[in-house]
Amino acid sequence: MDNINVLIIEDTPDQSDALIKVLLDNNYNIAGVARNFTDALKLFYEAAVDIIIIDVFLDGKPDGITFAESINIIPNASKPFVFLTSSNDRQIFERAKLTKPFSFLMKPFNELEILYAIEMAVEKFYEQTNVFLSEEQNTVISNDSLFIKKKNSLKKVALEDILYIEVEERYCNIITEKEKFVILISLTKISELLDKSKFIKTHRNTIVNSAKIEEIFPADNLIILKGNHRINLSDTYKDFIKNMNILS
Amino acid sequence: MNNKILIFLFYFIIQTPSLLFSQTDDNTEQKLLTKKALEFKKEINFVKSQSFYLKKDWDSTLIYSMKQLSVSKNKELNDYAHFFRGSSFLQKKLYKEARKELLQVSNKFALHLQSTILLGTISLELREFEKAKNYYNTALSLPEISNQIRSLSKTYEGLGITYFFLEKYDKAEDYLIKNETIKEKEKNDRELLSAYNSLANLYYVQYKDNQAIPYFRKAYLLSKNVNDLGKKIMAAENMSAVEENAKNYKKALEYRKEADKWTDSLNNQNKIWAVADYEKKFAVTQKQKEIKVLQVENKLKNTQRNFLFFSAIGLLLLLTGGVYLYAQKVKNSKIILHQKNKLDELNATKDQLFSIVSHDLRSSVNALKTSNSKLSATLESKNYDQLNQLIAQNSIIANGAYSLLDNLLHWALLQTKQLYFHKESIHLYSIIQQIEFNYKPFLLDKSITFENSVSKNIFLFVDLDSFKIVFRNLLDNAIKFSKQNGTITFSTNEIDSDFCEIIMEDTGIGMNQNTINELLQEGELLTKKSDSEIIGTGLGLQLCKQMIKKNNGTFKIESELNKGTKIIVTFPKMKQNG
Repeated sequence: MDNINVLIIEDTPDQSDALIKVLLDNNYNIAGVARNFTDALKLFYEAAVDIIIIDVFLDGKPDGITFAESINIIPNASKPFVFLTSSNDRQIFERAKLTKPFSFLMKPFNELEILYAIEMAVEKFYEQTNVFLSEEQNTVISNDSLFIKKKNSLKKVALEDILYIEVEERYCNIITEKEKFVILISLTKISELLDKSKFIKTHRNTIVNSAKIEEIFPADNLIILKGNHRINLSDTYKDFIKNMNILS
Repeated sequence: MNNKILIFLFYFIIQTPSLLFSQTDDNTEQKLLTKKALEFKKEINFVKSQSFYLKKDWDSTLIYSMKQLSVSKNKELNDYAHFFRGSSFLQKKLYKEARKELLQVSNKFALHLQSTILLGTISLELREFEKAKNYYNTALSLPEISNQIRSLSKTYEGLGITYFFLEKYDKAEDYLIKNETIKEKEKNDRELLSAYNSLANLYYVQYKDNQAIPYFRKAYLLSKNVNDLGKKIMAAENMSAVEENAKNYKKALEYRKEADKWTDSLNNQNKIWAVADYEKKFAVTQKQKEIKVLQVENKLKNTQRNFLFFSAIGLLLLLTGGVYLYAQKVKNSKIILHQKNKLDELNATKDQLFSIVSHDLRSSVNALKTSNSKLSATLESKNYDQLNQLIAQNSIIANGAYSLLDNLLHWALLQTKQLYFHKESIHLYSIIQQIEFNYKPFLLDKSITFENSVSKNIFLFVDLDSFKIVFRNLLDNAIKFSKQNGTITFSTNEIDSDFCEIIMEDTGIGMNQNTINELLQEGELLTKKSDSEIIGTGLGLQLCKQMIKKNNGTFKIESELNKGTKIIVTFPKMKQNG
């Protein structure tokens, strides 16, 4: 499980420092702090960024919105972002609102508010609302990662690191090469959100990352994954083998 | 000889009318008519027509007799009317009309004799000699003629002339002599002159000059006593013709000259008549002009009257219009006054708000100032325990001032409709936690227990920022009015699928019903608080109410003095679709 990388775009050092402190306290990584629009774009493309916190006004100009607008244009490059603003001036909001998904945080904000705002931004961005705060689910699934809420913070697991997923009622055991942990999500939800060509159901309660399969023993109803994990293969789900590219 | 006859005929024709027209003024006739007028006093038309008849005003007689005929059915009166009309037409020389009228007179008519004589005269004038002879003979045969000498002489004269024209000179001579004898007795010069003349002409035509000449002479001598110029001329000219035939030219010339003299004076008279006529005409035109002037004056008066009338109407309209406009103006000014009063009130409220806010801010900043100087003093004395306490106190003051300003800002934004308002799904529990987070120091300061027993599965559909403002204010109030070691509890009650009640309970000083009512009153910006120690603007709660309303929520207060207050806010839930 990795920490989330946050890019901060804020021209006032005092405020960025406060923000950094809160984020670090809650196990977020700071990908960088940009003071202006150009730096922001540079950092956005150079560093690995999961979430962006944008101050609307940079040096008195609404460059924060301009930045959001420019990353919004590029397909698949955009990341969840949160606007920071000190005024609810309608005009600014009307413009900022156009950069969907739009979430904002009024200054001054407290620790809880910034964390809540980040969670909301992620939910809205990946269009899976009311996840982190409900009691039934704590994970948002993006195209390449799982965003998992752990205590007050968010964690990230790259989908390519996952070996397999074991479902137990409302819980899922996620097994990666290095670790093993439990997330809160239903089987139906998770199988809906995962790419079906990459994650294959091999059993009533098992989903396997096809990229991690080392060996398949259909006769023994057995799959061996990377790291020598043995997985049961149920007859009902054997069909996927036909779709695989069989070498030899 | 030829010459002689011509002269005679010429004069005879001139002579006839005067001979005939002089016959009307008969005494018996006049008496009879006056008597009848008295008898038929009520028949206005008859009375008028007879009086005009006697005055010889022929036109008026014609008019009233006609009226009489058209109105009355009395046979006797109708006879009179026909008689009047016949006579009048005769005088106007309308012989045929005259005959028509007179023929309608009945045989029993009192003036039957007169009307018969008139009929004879008419026939004579129309040269119907046989008819004339018949009429005159009828008149002669009537018994009453013996009593009326004038009628008798008239009849004789008419018969004489008729026979004269029928060239039965013997009979003519007989009747004319009879007429002459009667006339001579009456001593009426004019009529006698006519009689002489008739006889003279009669003899003259028969070349009985010896008999004719004395009559001519008699006529001439009589003519001197007569005022009628026509007769004088006739007599003189006859004498001249006689002398001429007798080759006595000198005498003839004298007579001729005399005739000319009379002719001249007749012409003069004619001229005078003409002048008089002209004057009359002039007078008539003058009168007509006057009438015209009067007409014009009348017209002018009419137009003046119309003008006055219309101007009066115009003025009336103007007046009503003016009154209407004035009423409108009064109405408008009333509305304006009302609005002005309202505005003044609002302005006063605003000013009051302004003064309270600045007062609050001033005291806050002042407290900070004093606290800061204390702080530096404490720093110098290195009393670190007290330092912490002072800082906590400072932050409380700053927070109070900040929330006041925040409310003020939001109030202004709300009033100017500049507030950004965007409803979205919010997680109630987390938001309550976030709000509480800011108040932790205060809760701690008063040792207040805070319980958030809100269900974690509730998502509301509201504007996050305004929602936070509402609960920040409510919590602020709850802390402000809580005692040491109190409790503040947040809980929820899901009424139905659409709405959720959020209940905030405290164990503070509470308030009475009056205060609650005041707080809930719409539009009342400033609420006076019974607790003078904790003075507020009321702005916070006012803001709360407006924000709740904007979020389609409701607001309720339940409170008991010294036990605590329960504030119940209802908000719409997020629609269950994701």
